[in-house]
Amino acid sequence: MTDLGTWPAGPETLPAGPPSGSLADLLERVLDKGIVIAGDIKIDLLDIELLTIRLRLFIASVETAKKAGIDWWETDPALSSRAARDALGEENARLRARLEALGEADPDTTEATR
Amino acid sequence: MSTLSADRSDAAPPALPGPTLTCVFAVTDTPVPDGVCAATPGHDGGGPLRVLAAGPLHLVVQDVPAAAFREEALAERLNRPDELERCARAHHRGVQTAAGAGPAVPLPMATLYLDDDNAVRAVTAREASLRAVLDRLRDRTEWAVKVHGPVIAPASAATGDGPLDGRSYLRRASARRRTEREEREQALARAHAVDRELRRYAVAATRHRPQSEQLSGRGVPQLLNAAYLVDDGRREQFVRAVGELARAARRSAVEVTMSGPWIPYSFARTDENEYAARKEAGA
Repeated sequence: MTDLGTWPAGPETLPAGPPSGSLADLLERVLDKGIVIAGDIKIDLLDIELLTIRLRLFIASVETAKKAGIDWWETDPALSSRAARDALGEENARLRARLEALGEADPDTTEATR
Repeated sequence: MSTLSADRSDAAPPALPGPTLTCVFAVTDTPVPDGVCAATPGHDGGGPLRVLAAGPLHLVVQDVPAAAFREEALAERLNRPDELERCARAHHRGVQTAAGAGPAVPLPMATLYLDDDNAVRAVTAREASLRAVLDRLRDRTEWAVKVHGPVIAPASAATGDGPLDGRSYLRRASARRRTEREEREQALARAHAVDRELRRYAVAATRHRPQSEQLSGRGVPQLLNAAYLVDDGRREQFVRAVGELARAARRSAVEVTMSGPWIPYSFARTDENEYAARKEAGA
């Protein structure tokens, strides 16, 4: 971690490497960031035999990383599982609201379906 | 992987992956200064870093041995923490090389193509969106700011002064828990205030998941793990603001730290993942 007391106030020349001791910061950026260019496994272009590997697809199996506490990909929206959960949650809430409305409107029916 | 279309124009027979693959580190629209590539080591066992032209874009690439970069091989290597770190650092060096004279869009670590042509084709197909990202990152730098805390003294309910009967003990323990909870809430509120203040200086901000204590190497919880994209013209203001927040935080039980300057990994996003990222950050 950078000691802010001694952090240079002057501008550096270029975006430089990480200060020592910030391996966690580096891994966090390097392992899960960057633009995936036509690297999706879904892409099926016969004339471009892409070997691009979406690291996050298999890094979930990297137990070492997990042991080190690197598990942010589990909530990565790009992995869509969470997005799917959110969508399900919204759907669920909508359905509940609808059910309640129906229940208020027609208690008999609701009773019957219980 | 070995499927090729019949009308592939070049004469070479459809082949299995060759002995080397083209590993792409990053894309830039600014020529990479001569000599930088030669001076920068890439992945172990690979060739020297090279620059490929893709229209107006430049790719920093390296020939890497296919055997070491096949999915199983890669997964196996990344299972070892030292190898994981070596790979990450090599990737970062390649990205830095691309960012030597202008903005660069980092590609994910281990972005591999069978050959240069495929890499160029893939990048060319995304030229417009890549150029938009490069324009957004130009003359801007990422800074990482974290807030840790609160540092809570070890529970002393058992050893505190006062009567030693059970009821008094429970009362002290419960008061202690209440205090700790309040301290945590206050610390979290301070972390959010830090984030709010720093967003004023940034053109974009994002919150990463707080790192675990194991990963951060700290004995205190991480309350904020944020990244800010700051115009280089406002860099001094931003750094000064972080310094002031850090000094103010010292009077309370939280600690504000910063790392950077970073190549804007956290902001190298195309528009299509921007929405998802914003949703994730809850911003």
